[in-house]
Amino acid sequence: MANLDPLIHAPARLQVVTTLSAVSEAEFATLRAVLEVSDSVLSKHISALADAGYVRSRKGVRAGRRTTWIGLTSAGREALREHVAALRRLIEGVD
Amino acid sequence: MSASSAALSKRPRPLTTLVYLTIWKVASILSTMETNPVQQNPEDSRSVLAEADEARQRLAAGLRLPTGLHPALAAAVAVQVGTAAYGIANHAAAGLVVALAGVTVFLAVAALSLYQFRRINGVRVDGLASQIVLGAGATSTMAYVAAFGAATWAAFESRWWLVAAVAAFGGVGYAFGFLRWWHAYRHDPADHARGASPRALAVTAVLACLGLVALLISG
Repeated sequence: MANLDPLIHAPARLQVVTTLSAVSEAEFATLRAVLEVSDSVLSKHISALADAGYVRSRKGVRAGRRTTWIGLTSAGREALREHVAALRRLIEGVD
Repeated sequence: MSASSAALSKRPRPLTTLVYLTIWKVASILSTMETNPVQQNPEDSRSVLAEADEARQRLAAGLRLPTGLHPALAAAVAVQVGTAAYGIANHAAAGLVVALAGVTVFLAVAALSLYQFRRINGVRVDGLASQIVLGAGATSTMAYVAAFGAATWAAFESRWWLVAAVAAFGGVGYAFGFLRWWHAYRHDPADHARGASPRALAVTAVLACLGLVALLISG
């Protein structure tokens, strides 16, 4: 179907970008706790999304600890919007 | 193996326990995920969307505001409005100092609140920063503008009790506007998350200070 984005179609990836759409930036540990996945799984997803330009990450400090902050880019936000719209069209086609 | 240890080994793993996969398993799962064709089953789509929305709501529902944010914000705005009105009505250098001190108090409270929010929650929400620093919502803007105008008039009339009362009203209205935005954000985080970036807010704060100084000098 047109406009379904294969990169964020997988449920875990869609959850990552959808969750990030609620904030401007989230700390890696916060995102991992909300999505209930392991460090390695989340890290792989973030790397794939960053390679596509859908998310950006930067190193920072929180409470004296070095952390990674992740945010959705404009391209990622647009990709999510189009993908969700395509999924809704698919659902409405059945209803 | 004894009966008790066999029973223990069959006990279901708690749902809250994270299961860490070895890296080759993760790579395999992710590889399959990326090479499999896009599924088009509407029922799958419905559940996938619902799970993604649920994750987003879980994040938003878990966010906490710093303790005492609303009264601190109301007080900071009241101080800023009151001191600005005094500074505009008082043409001496003391007026300028008092007005700039009021702006400093407001910006310090706003910056501390945003820092605490980020530290407590591990997220940054530009929409929240815009509401706190700029009063970007209609309620906050109207409360601030009305209070600022009335307080300035009252200061020129030397009715200082009225300056204080109107400034307090403006502070409470500003904080109420923020509270309304917060409820709207919790209900629909994606629509309310965006706002001015930290850099844009810093530039706006500097411009606001320069504007106030120009107003005080010209007034």
